[in-house]
Amino acid sequence: MADMDVGALRPPLIAGHKTLAQVTEDVCAPMDGRPTALWWIGLAISVLALSLGVAAVWYMFVTGIGTWGLNRTVGWALAITNFVFWIGIGHAGTLISAILFLLRQRWRTSVNRAAEAMTIFAVICAAIFPVIHMGRAWLAYWMFPVPNMRGSLWVNFLSPLMWDVFAISTYFTISLVFWYVGLIPDLATVRDRIRGNGPRKRLFSFFSLGWSGSARTWHHYEAVYLLLAALGTPLVISVHSIVSMDFATSLIPGWHTTIFPPYFVAGAIFSGMAMVLTLMLVARKTMRLEDYITLRHVDVMTKFVLFTGSLVGLAYGTEFFIAFYSGNPYEQFAYTNRAFGPFGWAFAIMVICNVVLPQLFWSKRVRTNLAVVFVISLCVNVGMWFERFVIIVTSLHRDYLPSSWADYTPTMIEYATLIGSFGLFFTCFLLFCRFLPMIAIGEVKSVVAHDARSTGGPR
Amino acid sequence: MPTQNRKRYWKSREERDGAPDPAATDREFFDTPAVTGAAYTTRRGFLTAAGFGLAGAALSSCSRAPVVQAIPYLVQPEEVTPGRPYFYASTCGGCSAGCGLIVRNRDGRPVKLEGNPDHPASRGGLCAAGQASILGLYDSQRLTAPMRDGQRASWADVDGAIRTTLDDIRTQGGAVRFLTGTVTSPTVRSLIGAFLKPFPNARHVAYDALSTSALLDACEQTHGARVLPRLRFDRAEVIVSFDADFLGTWISPVEYTVGYSAGRTLRGDPPRLSYHAQFESRMSLTGGRADWRIALAPAEIGIVIGHLAERLARMADMPLAPGALPPAPVPAARLDELADRLWRARGRSLVVCASQDTSLQVLCNAMNHAVGAYGTTIDVERPSYQRAGNDRDLEALRDELSAGGVAALFIAGVNPVYDLPDGDGLAQALRTVPLVISFADHVDETSSVARYVCPDRHFLECWSDTEAVAGVVSLTQPVIRPLGESRQLIESLAVWSGAPMSACDLVRAHWTQQIYPRRRTDAPFRDFWERAVHDGVVEVTPDAPAVRPFGEAARGVMVPEAPPLPDGDFALVLYPTVGMLDGRHAHNPWLHELPDPTTKVTWDNYASFSPEAAGRIGIADGDVVRLESSDGLTGATKVIELSAHLQPGQHDRVVAVALGYGRMGTDRFAKVGPQWIEGRTTVGTNGLIGVSAAGFRTLANGVLRDTGRLVRVTKTGRTRPLAATQSHHMIAVPAALAPAGGARRPIVEETTLAAYVKDPTAGSLGHAEPTADLWPPDHPYTGHRWAMVVDLNACTGCAACVIGCQVENNVPVVGRDEVRRHREMHWIRIDRYYADGDDGGVDVIHQPMLCQHCEHASCEVVCPVLATVHSSEGLNQQIYNRCVGTRYCANNCPYKVRRFNWFDYPREDRLQNLVLNPDVVVRSRGVMEKCSMCIQRIQNARIEAARLGQPLGPNAVETACQQSCPARAITFGDANDPESPVSQARTSPRYFRVLAELNVKPAVGYLRLVRHRPEDGGERRHG
Repeated sequence: MADMDVGALRPPLIAGHKTLAQVTEDVCAPMDGRPTALWWIGLAISVLALSLGVAAVWYMFVTGIGTWGLNRTVGWALAITNFVFWIGIGHAGTLISAILFLLRQRWRTSVNRAAEAMTIFAVICAAIFPVIHMGRAWLAYWMFPVPNMRGSLWVNFLSPLMWDVFAISTYFTISLVFWYVGLIPDLATVRDRIRGNGPRKRLFSFFSLGWSGSARTWHHYEAVYLLLAALGTPLVISVHSIVSMDFATSLIPGWHTTIFPPYFVAGAIFSGMAMVLTLMLVARKTMRLEDYITLRHVDVMTKFVLFTGSLVGLAYGTEFFIAFYSGNPYEQFAYTNRAFGPFGWAFAIMVICNVVLPQLFWSKRVRTNLAVVFVISLCVNVGMWFERFVIIVTSLHRDYLPSSWADYTPTMIEYATLIGSFGLFFTCFLLFCRFLPMIAIGEVKSVVAHDARSTGGPR
Repeated sequence: MPTQNRKRYWKSREERDGAPDPAATDREFFDTPAVTGAAYTTRRGFLTAAGFGLAGAALSSCSRAPVVQAIPYLVQPEEVTPGRPYFYASTCGGCSAGCGLIVRNRDGRPVKLEGNPDHPASRGGLCAAGQASILGLYDSQRLTAPMRDGQRASWADVDGAIRTTLDDIRTQGGAVRFLTGTVTSPTVRSLIGAFLKPFPNARHVAYDALSTSALLDACEQTHGARVLPRLRFDRAEVIVSFDADFLGTWISPVEYTVGYSAGRTLRGDPPRLSYHAQFESRMSLTGGRADWRIALAPAEIGIVIGHLAERLARMADMPLAPGALPPAPVPAARLDELADRLWRARGRSLVVCASQDTSLQVLCNAMNHAVGAYGTTIDVERPSYQRAGNDRDLEALRDELSAGGVAALFIAGVNPVYDLPDGDGLAQALRTVPLVISFADHVDETSSVARYVCPDRHFLECWSDTEAVAGVVSLTQPVIRPLGESRQLIESLAVWSGAPMSACDLVRAHWTQQIYPRRRTDAPFRDFWERAVHDGVVEVTPDAPAVRPFGEAARGVMVPEAPPLPDGDFALVLYPTVGMLDGRHAHNPWLHELPDPTTKVTWDNYASFSPEAAGRIGIADGDVVRLESSDGLTGATKVIELSAHLQPGQHDRVVAVALGYGRMGTDRFAKVGPQWIEGRTTVGTNGLIGVSAAGFRTLANGVLRDTGRLVRVTKTGRTRPLAATQSHHMIAVPAALAPAGGARRPIVEETTLAAYVKDPTAGSLGHAEPTADLWPPDHPYTGHRWAMVVDLNACTGCAACVIGCQVENNVPVVGRDEVRRHREMHWIRIDRYYADGDDGGVDVIHQPMLCQHCEHASCEVVCPVLATVHSSEGLNQQIYNRCVGTRYCANNCPYKVRRFNWFDYPREDRLQNLVLNPDVVVRSRGVMEKCSMCIQRIQNARIEAARLGQPLGPNAVETACQQSCPARAITFGDANDPESPVSQARTSPRYFRVLAELNVKPAVGYLRLVRHRPEDGGERRHG
């Protein structure tokens, strides 16, 4: 990789004056020994949550989707909220991997692997919801343009749900390939560290695709990586734009808004960064990766959160202004109802968590106080979940004809499904931490070497 | 390739011989035949065709075959083609109004009841309860065999025992009483008389659970005959109603609605729009339609009657002094104006009153006399027989029973233990009567204490007749072989008198002797009878008791003095609901789930308070309150606990509770609807649907009263939310959230008559329907283009269409909990909006809302699997098989008319499933459904037209909602046919479309509501 023009005054990206061997040791350490008690507890809780979710979904399948709190007016609520939430979470990974890669933001090397993994798991969590929310989920394959013998039956390419199907499946595929390609050198490193010829060795050998580490291999690898990054970049923008069109192309006041695509993308990056921040802060502590995920990384990510949070705040304001400026009474009502109606509390949570709290990041003291950063990042996650809830439920529950207005209360089955999706996410993530290198060894090494050279060797 | 081979290969003989158009054979679906033009089959013509077969079938079914199963046919009757509907004319037995019926039979079983357009009173209308009563036929809890001491018995045993006992009673001269509701059947009436004749001490006592006894008593005083005058709302131009819910539940709502809407068509010049003033305590369906409505405490209604009578008597120079009246609770100027209106419309005005005070009824008769209503808007010479109950007789019988002086009591068609205030006492008394025979078809409060239960049949299994209005005799004919071993009342009586005869023979015999001599034609009896069976109704010379002209009876009548209402107490008003009436439909889940037209509450009764009163005593919707009242006579305290409901427009000092709830046997609905973890039961804490309020009625001084009792209201601290399909939204959005100028949504449009006369388009809220379009129209609509217009000015909100649609389209019942969760399945709903009226009153507007079949349907574009598509004829079609249930279409529907199958809504009752319409698919779990504009009826009409080689006429298709609408508010047809009624309605200046500004281009439109308003005061329509 090309040398970066990094001044001597910039703190090093990787602390602790690591040698290349140390990097390998540090990253692979969690994969070698026995898992810690903390990991086991985490896994137990996650699996429990996952089982709860599986039970809830199974019960829903057996009994009917009426076990959710939906009604004739509010046809989408928690499931679609969760869907959009998880898709949003899934944005940070590709953003960090692809866009920041293209922009040569080298601090990304410490977090990109975990962020990409997070993306994969988040998209899996997200993809579950559109399927299970269907009245007849067993017919979900009808959503694909499968050639069939049922006459002229085909899918409706005018439907935003159809666009979703393609957007999400494309995004998932690219994210997975991107993640896997990035993993190959590290898989080879792990392969080389394994003594003996056990199944683990064979597995890693298989998946490292005969990586030799030669300059030629590296050359090809970097070309592919660059290409994939270029392919992935538009997807970061497109996925959430298309998800937002589920709402923007409808005619429900509060949904029918042209601002939605950029607004949703900003919100997605915002929530994704917050989730990366949350996970990294935890991983840094529990996996002893303080040297790799430094305060500088945290600092950059908080600035990201601050920036996207402000964008989101601007979007909220714009929505209200346009509602006022449009003179459309239905739209005006939708927004006053959003803020002061029965779900005003959710709106308040959303504004406080997404707009007010991130503003604290203007202060350097806040940005360097990891406990506060952690709490704010959690709040942003909560706030972004509520943003989707507010958009979906408050717009639907009081639309055009007051005669059909209805309230919405989630049932315990829906809560259990939400908990289950978190269970799935963390189960996957914990397994990932244990069985795969959660920091891109090869990429970090390039940063370490660079640091050593530019600062004149270890001090 | 060798081309010399000239051998032809063929797959079928058709191909070889006929070689049809290869393009046609490739097509899976045939083109719909292009049927256009003017000729069509009228209903009457169709009936004629069906009727010839039917008359023979009807006659042959007079003798009972031992087979009782209705289906399947082992040997198919020649005249029945499976899959083809047959229509039979009959008479509705849902209440005592006796509306004409057309029963649609499919495959040997009735599947739908519709109004008979040839019936001179009901004119094709049929109310919700009437249409729903078909479900009672397939009720699995109906008694199918006689019972003796609560045990199933055989008819032979029961008959033997009853005859022996009756013989003893006859020889001993014991008192025999025959207690019935109003018997509208001349045959049954005369047969009961004949049955009682041999007994030395026998009497037939009739009462109505919803009593109008005072009205009849007043008529006896003023006209010398105890009859119910026939009210001709169609002839009335000024209508004043005192607490009479004549469009909803009072006496004969369908007939009255037909007449009322005929007087408000806005046709002619000046436009015909009767003026309607309503004085009432609660918010009734009728009150919501009124041009001037005032909420009064029950006691104040009498005062207003007195004041109005005084004014009219002065104008007519009649001797009338209704006593020293307290000041009227209504501005005197408005009363003057009302009296003036009545006076100016002499001969075209009508005063009706539902009070159970004979003196008030006499005053109303005096008013009617003063304004010349008798002979024009009120017919006493040709009265109605829909109510004949006599509360004085009932009271006497009750006293007789408590004294133990009755030897045998027959109870038919009524449920006195439930109806009467002291039901437990009556039940005790009944247990001491040696012989109690109930003809109830269910185990109910009364039949469970009867010695013998000899179940009468459902009216669809009966031969009977009805003379609802003098001179209009309609026939009831069986449309199915009886399910079970029930026996008609008249057959039982014939057996017990020792001359067993079939009901058909009994009815025919009565007709030969009594009805035929009153004929107006000179047809022989056979033709007369067959005509009557075919048409369902025949007009004969009225045979009414002689009346004398209005006498001086009213001279000394005083308005009864009402005791003052103590502070903190409420005046109780008990009222029937459109679905339950007096409780007779308590076994009907459709009617339980039918939202009350005004409150929109289902599956419950409740205590209604005005919002101000609720605020005063600190209760909110759903809070359980305790109503306590001590009986003035016995001193016993009666208590019931009910959820509170806040009802705008109700009087502040009134609490209103519906009758007909808390019926025995409604515990059967405990598990109606889906059963799941968070599902809640449909029944209340008492295990029943609702709470019986009958204990608060009073039967004293010869009248059964439902109003005026004083109750003390206390909070219990518990809440039980009501299952309402619509909450308390006025048309306006909540004031605190309303955008400037957007508080009132332009959903319903109304105007005043004065404005309408000046400008027929007045009241338009100026929906800016976009006209410019970048794109060519998606749908050319070259053939038919189905469209509907709903006249809001005609619609009363009676909900007949809701049940009509439910029966026609197999709409499931979902239970109370699902309704509470806003998951009712009705395809057509009636949106009810309140608005601030004049005088601080509340206006009610009803708007039937169904799928609008938009040309630019927002649902169609968002469905990912194309499960909802547009037909070439303008219908928005839902393809259940293709639906995967994303519910995106429902979200995107601005009218929120799509209904989703959240569960497999239970249909386990196999007998009840016989009511399902075979033409309509039963939807499974997870699919969306909605109004199809009765596409099966369109297809049937099309097939019939094609079969007859005729074009599809402009009136050939009637949707289920349209057919039964008593007010004829719904017009449906081909908008491409300029002659069709719907096309003409679409050109009306009152035509508007809801949410037209969204450019979804709905195919359903509405006609603006027009009301008289005080600013019309200067307008002199009648002058």
